[in-house]
Amino acid sequence: MERDFLRDGIVILDGAMGTVLQQKGLPPGGKPELLNLTRPELLREVHRAYIDAGSRVIYANTFGASAPKLAGTGYTVDEVVSAAVAVAKEAAAGTGVRVALDMGPLGELLEPLGTLPFERAYDYFKEAAVAGERAGADLAVIETMTDLYEAKAALLAVKENTALPALVTMSFEQNGRTFTGCTIASMARTLEGLGADAVGLNCSLGPDLLLPLVKELRANTRLPVIAKPNAGLPDPATGAYGMGPEEFVRAMFPLVEAGASIVGGCCGTSPEYIRALAKALEGRAPAPGTYRGGGFVCSAMAPCFLDGVRVIGERVNPTGKKRFQQALLENDLDYILDVAVQQEDAGADILDVNVGFPGVDEASMLPRVVKKLQSAVALPLQLDSSNPDALEAGLRVYNGKAAVNSVNGEGAVLDRVLPIVKKYGASVVGLCLDEGGIPPTAEGRVAIARRILDAALEHGIPAEDVWIDCLTLTVSAQQEQAGETLKAVRTVREELGLQVVLGVSNISFGLPSRGIVTQNFLIQAMGAGLTLPILNPNQREMMDAVAAFKVLSGEDGGCRGYIARFANAAPADRPAPGPSASLTLEEAVIRGLEGDAGRLAKEALQTQDELSLVEQRLIPALDRVGADYEAGRAFLPQLLSAAQAAQAVFGVIKTSIAEKGGAPVKKGKFAIATVKGDIHDIGKNIVRTVMENYGYEAVDLGRDVPPETIVDAVREQGIKLVGLSALMTTTLPAMEETTRRLKALPDPPVVWVGGAVVTPEYAEKMGADYYARDARQSVEIARKVFGA
Amino acid sequence: MKLDIAEPLRWLGVRGEPDGALLAEITGLADRLTRTITPRWVWRMFHVKRTFDGEELEGAGLALTGETARKMLADCDWAILLACTLGAGFEAMLRAEQARSMARAALLDACGSAWAEAGCDGAEREIAARFPGLFLTDRFSPGYGDLPLELQRGICAALDAGRRLGVQVTDSLMMNPAKSVTAVIGLSDRPQPARIRGCGFCKLRESCQYRKEGKTCGA
Repeated sequence: MERDFLRDGIVILDGAMGTVLQQKGLPPGGKPELLNLTRPELLREVHRAYIDAGSRVIYANTFGASAPKLAGTGYTVDEVVSAAVAVAKEAAAGTGVRVALDMGPLGELLEPLGTLPFERAYDYFKEAAVAGERAGADLAVIETMTDLYEAKAALLAVKENTALPALVTMSFEQNGRTFTGCTIASMARTLEGLGADAVGLNCSLGPDLLLPLVKELRANTRLPVIAKPNAGLPDPATGAYGMGPEEFVRAMFPLVEAGASIVGGCCGTSPEYIRALAKALEGRAPAPGTYRGGGFVCSAMAPCFLDGVRVIGERVNPTGKKRFQQALLENDLDYILDVAVQQEDAGADILDVNVGFPGVDEASMLPRVVKKLQSAVALPLQLDSSNPDALEAGLRVYNGKAAVNSVNGEGAVLDRVLPIVKKYGASVVGLCLDEGGIPPTAEGRVAIARRILDAALEHGIPAEDVWIDCLTLTVSAQQEQAGETLKAVRTVREELGLQVVLGVSNISFGLPSRGIVTQNFLIQAMGAGLTLPILNPNQREMMDAVAAFKVLSGEDGGCRGYIARFANAAPADRPAPGPSASLTLEEAVIRGLEGDAGRLAKEALQTQDELSLVEQRLIPALDRVGADYEAGRAFLPQLLSAAQAAQAVFGVIKTSIAEKGGAPVKKGKFAIATVKGDIHDIGKNIVRTVMENYGYEAVDLGRDVPPETIVDAVREQGIKLVGLSALMTTTLPAMEETTRRLKALPDPPVVWVGGAVVTPEYAEKMGADYYARDARQSVEIARKVFGA
Repeated sequence: MKLDIAEPLRWLGVRGEPDGALLAEITGLADRLTRTITPRWVWRMFHVKRTFDGEELEGAGLALTGETARKMLADCDWAILLACTLGAGFEAMLRAEQARSMARAALLDACGSAWAEAGCDGAEREIAARFPGLFLTDRFSPGYGDLPLELQRGICAALDAGRRLGVQVTDSLMMNPAKSVTAVIGLSDRPQPARIRGCGFCKLRESCQYRKEGKTCGA
């Protein structure tokens, strides 16, 4: 399909559809897409008016033509899309004007904010895209998106199922973020990587307020930039938009000068605006680009420009970590999230994610872990696997621009992995080794780096997205290799101009006081040109070295980062003021002192086994807080702090058991869920946290859970106790149905219910065994059921 | 706009003076919240037309049915529909906090509720300033009295809150993001008495612990 027209000159789009329909007397709201079938002549008129005004691309009236938005209308997506494209094509016949399939948001929020899975969003968009192409659309326009994840689903759906050029515009607020927190850089670079043909901004603001955002967008993409703003802001008293056609066009000029080359109007604009715009821009050429290169990865909310040293955290990796391996085998994604969160808090910039372990199906585990991490961690991810299927599955569900670790100089590996890297617009780490192993000289490694770069370029991956790992070898085994590695780092950085990666920890393997050697190597490597050290950010001395390096290299302007890091640090020669020596484990738990509780638990395990530590010390301490809570002497925050401290104790216990290979402490397994229709789950999460820290094992089925999912889980896992939460009167029926179906099982579990609208009377009426007012009462119920 | 931490503490059931650690924790969270998240709102004014079905808001495509709306808007020819939200940014912050500390997350959640209310107060001040000669009724929301919860959907549609605020109403009438509020405010040319706020209008007035102690909850 032809795409050159997007780059040849200024392209004039159309203006608003809804505004014009309202001017023609249609009431606001409703489903304007149905007009394609009921009032085609009206739409033809609007399209013609825009064509007459000078639009070279018109948007078919399909903004809301998706299955979720058409539900209940009696029309299919195909019917509505076909009719809409047909009307637009009739209006455009003989004019050379192109017809775009318009794809707006689905109206349901995607996970993790909402409950719509990425895969289902993709299917909805696929249905519309396929219908649009079949009906004869010339291109697809994905617009008014506020969630980068939804935009990605739509773009993939267009690219994988049609040959249509794809334009994507999102709606930004004045602060440079969308409602979901997506930044302009994240949006532009992620979508360019995924193969969009042009990217831009539409709706939300008038052209005047859009100017700084267009400038920023221009600097973050090599693609043509689209601007389709509103006619100013609406007056709340009347709903009317503030700018007339002339003022609108005056404010559009600076946007074109700043690099927007595909322009039109959104809410509040009409053919008059487009006529004035087309006339004013006649014969004008697009402004030159201002792209800022150099390398980039991101999540939707956290852009990471590679213009200095960026630390890649290495801890999400099972190698040599029994507790992590156990978490993988038990599907304990919360533990993995915890490992990631610690690294984020320790100052990592990017997180490496490796879930390869015997007995783990990486291709299904990696995307699940990616989804879990991106629900609560803002940092960009580097997907680390030698399994191409796992990489593709992980990249597919990643919300942003990721990195892939890794390829090497072997032709077969490059041919298999690079197309995946290209398709998802990722960066790629290339290891300086091949069929012949690791070259012993720097020259040999640089030669492989060149080969990897050439292969990447051939696959259409730009040099800024190629990162080279010069490979750290263990100095105690091959002492001369440290120098070769540093030499290779210098050459790759200086001659090839690429980002350089090194996993630095390996250098000191087998030596005493490893930290000293590793830190020294890290510093030398950064001096030689290392930009992306892979390390354990929880090791303070490593992060200290990076902070100091950034001061000396000038990257940390005004030494601000360094000063902030050390301003409150205690002098190193004086030990930090510790807790009084008399603090007991019980007190630490009661007072919610997590760190002390963990430390004291470790000490206690010298003399006590895990089970008796839990039963004789931890639980009685929790009970004291619980009793205070019931008596109104302690409050929810204290109850939770104690639970948190107990969690630290359990962490120590789990690690201790995993290392010994023994059976975990488990007092009984319960399932917990918010019922179908209920999407707010913090109350359920609070109950779960407290119960887990009494030693009960949680099967958290999540929120908005259909009855059958709960019933299946109970049946398959032989669960004896089920907790259900509902917050709204509208979701009580779902709670009732779930309870009824659980009670109809041959071996029915005990069901307890709670939540804002639930009362003891309701609970009894719906056939639940117990009502719990809070987390504390839930623990009492578990005690009765499990007898411990 | 200011977040009064007495409110989240009250919602968490904390009575009397909170201990120092708790106070420091909640103050820190409230500070971080108010620095990173700004409540956003949209509102629009509609003409009130009295019909058999209730108080119809012309051009909004909805009628406010029931006794509550009738009483609240008795003196009003105009009414404001308002939607206010902390947005997805708060949800992300709360998810991140839950992954770190459930205790802090519970505090943050309560602070979020108070911050969304503070946003509504901010919107109300903006509205009052916009109509200097007019008087505002108390703010009331779907679910209050006999004002149907279903109106949540109509109000969001009339304000185009999905597109302009990123607020969705689910099939079960939940607002997403969670810290979102829809409300109605009447505009009158006569001073409006308090009809909702204060102990005199509270269902809990007989059993309220604050009242027994000679205090008020401030709502």
